[in-house]
Amino acid sequence: MKSLSLKNLAKTYFDAYKGEHVTAIRDVSLEVPAGEFVSIVGPSGCGKSTILNMVAGFIPHSGGEILVGGTPVKGPGPDRGVVFQSFALFPWKTVLDNVGFGPKMRGVPKAERDAIAREYLALAGLSHAADRYPNELSGGMQQRVGVVRALANEPDVLLMDEPFASVDAQTRMTLQDELSRIWEERRPTVVFITHDVPEAVFLANRVVVLSKGKVLAEVEVPISRPRVWDRLVADDEFKDLSNQVLALVRSA
Amino acid sequence: MNALLPLWSFVVRTSVKWPILQTLAPFVPVVALWWAVAAWGPFPPAFFPSPADVVAKFVSLMEKGILPEYLGDSVARLAIGAAVGIGLGVPLGLWIGLNKSAHRALWPVLLFFQAIGDIAWLPILIIWFGFGLTTMTFVIVYTVLFPVILNTVLGVRSVRIELHRAAQSLGASPARIVGEVVVPGALPNIMTGLRNGLGYGWRALIAAEMIVGTSGIGFLMFDARRAGSVTEIVLGMIVLGILWYIVDAWILAPIEQATGRRWGLVTQ
Ligand SMILES: Nc1ncnc2c1ncn2[C@@H]1O[C@H](COP(=O)(O)OP(=O)(O)OP(=O)(O)O)[C@@H](O)[C@H]1O
Ligand SMILES: [Mg+2]
Repeated sequence: MKSLSLKNLAKTYFDAYKGEHVTAIRDVSLEVPAGEFVSIVGPSGCGKSTILNMVAGFIPHSGGEILVGGTPVKGPGPDRGVVFQSFALFPWKTVLDNVGFGPKMRGVPKAERDAIAREYLALAGLSHAADRYPNELSGGMQQRVGVVRALANEPDVLLMDEPFASVDAQTRMTLQDELSRIWEERRPTVVFITHDVPEAVFLANRVVVLSKGKVLAEVEVPISRPRVWDRLVADDEFKDLSNQVLALVRSA
Repeated sequence: MNALLPLWSFVVRTSVKWPILQTLAPFVPVVALWWAVAAWGPFPPAFFPSPADVVAKFVSLMEKGILPEYLGDSVARLAIGAAVGIGLGVPLGLWIGLNKSAHRALWPVLLFFQAIGDIAWLPILIIWFGFGLTTMTFVIVYTVLFPVILNTVLGVRSVRIELHRAAQSLGASPARIVGEVVVPGALPNIMTGLRNGLGYGWRALIAAEMIVGTSGIGFLMFDARRAGSVTEIVLGMIVLGILWYIVDAWILAPIEQATGRRWGLVTQ
């Protein structure tokens, strides 16, 4: 696990259609210490995905610095695991081979990487699905594989962009319970993007509210762990914090 | 009507047990009609042979060894065309699909040369290479190549950007991404290209054999015309149809089945 630090990060897109430059991120500074879970929330278009894509190295940044464990980010790399909203599983690989993909790229021999993949699949209760193909799984199961695939590569930072946005409400709560449990077990450094405020609060140590390419506020979430929905649905502290963040987002 | 029911159920039962019968069954009425028209006799047999004539011709050409030899020649040419077409077309397609400037520069050229279909090359090829194998090989490779390239390019460009990104952030190098992501992602399109390419290539080959050939099914048919043997021409046509069915059912379809279907990239 390593820390992530954004220093005066900025991003300007060139909008080819309008023929003009668009500032998506004005000036964002953010410290995520190693082993911390940070959620970023904000209204649509405020620049959440842009931040994540820059941290992942998928798109270049126009200004400022991105440091992972003190080292500047240049392009994508296995030190930053990514979980996509669209799952982005390889349809031609079995679940086992999807999860073993990162280790395979590191040159881990077949038997060993299968063992790693099986261990991580067990973590998400997916052992029975190892030999299936992604399109044979439900959306919820596919995203479990997506999370596990990123974790199995043991990244320093885990980046998630609305990973649970495309599954039904019931499944979403289960996935949130599971992610919370996995985080408590393994303590990875996580940046989690969502516009679901209760989700952000439920999962995070700290919620960052973004507005028009700037940080509007940061809200600490001191709720004790382990966190499970069974307990938190009726928890006053959780409700107060959620309402506080919701008010911030709506003012954004 | 009721008397036909047991017969019908017999047909259904046996055709389930023997899939080959299921394939052949639709041809029964076609052949029956053909036979009826031939027997009815509005046309002279030399002009409109009956199925029995064609079968007899088939047996005699098999015995003389002409049909096996010509069939072998045509299939070998198709195989060479397919092998060269894939061997050149897939790597070229991958390169053009992945490289933006290559795509910009070469796409119009590809479309241009694709439009000058196969046979349109024959006049100039005959002048350059004469009547022979080189000309035929060129035509079939050419015909297979373009659909393979064009569809491979489309396939490469249809691979979702998230899959590239996922592979990158799992530590895959650009070379590994080609092998692990781009090729499998483009495979359904590559198969389409191959299917089209072989289909066009097969037809182009027959045409080329008619014009420049000294052997092959196309040559057999055209040569039969000189001898006025309608029976042999019809036999050639039937052989073409059967051969394509075999290529499709025994080679192309199983590959597609084994890949795209299971991955959910091809709808059933
Ligand atoms: N490739 C691009 N070219 C031009 N403008 C872009 C591009 N990508 C994003 N933008 C603009 O940048 C701003 C931020 O977009 P971004 O996708 O980061 O928002 P978001 O917070 O993730 O929104 P959502 O909640 O809808 O996912 C938007 O105004 C968007 O229109
Ligand atoms: Mg977004």
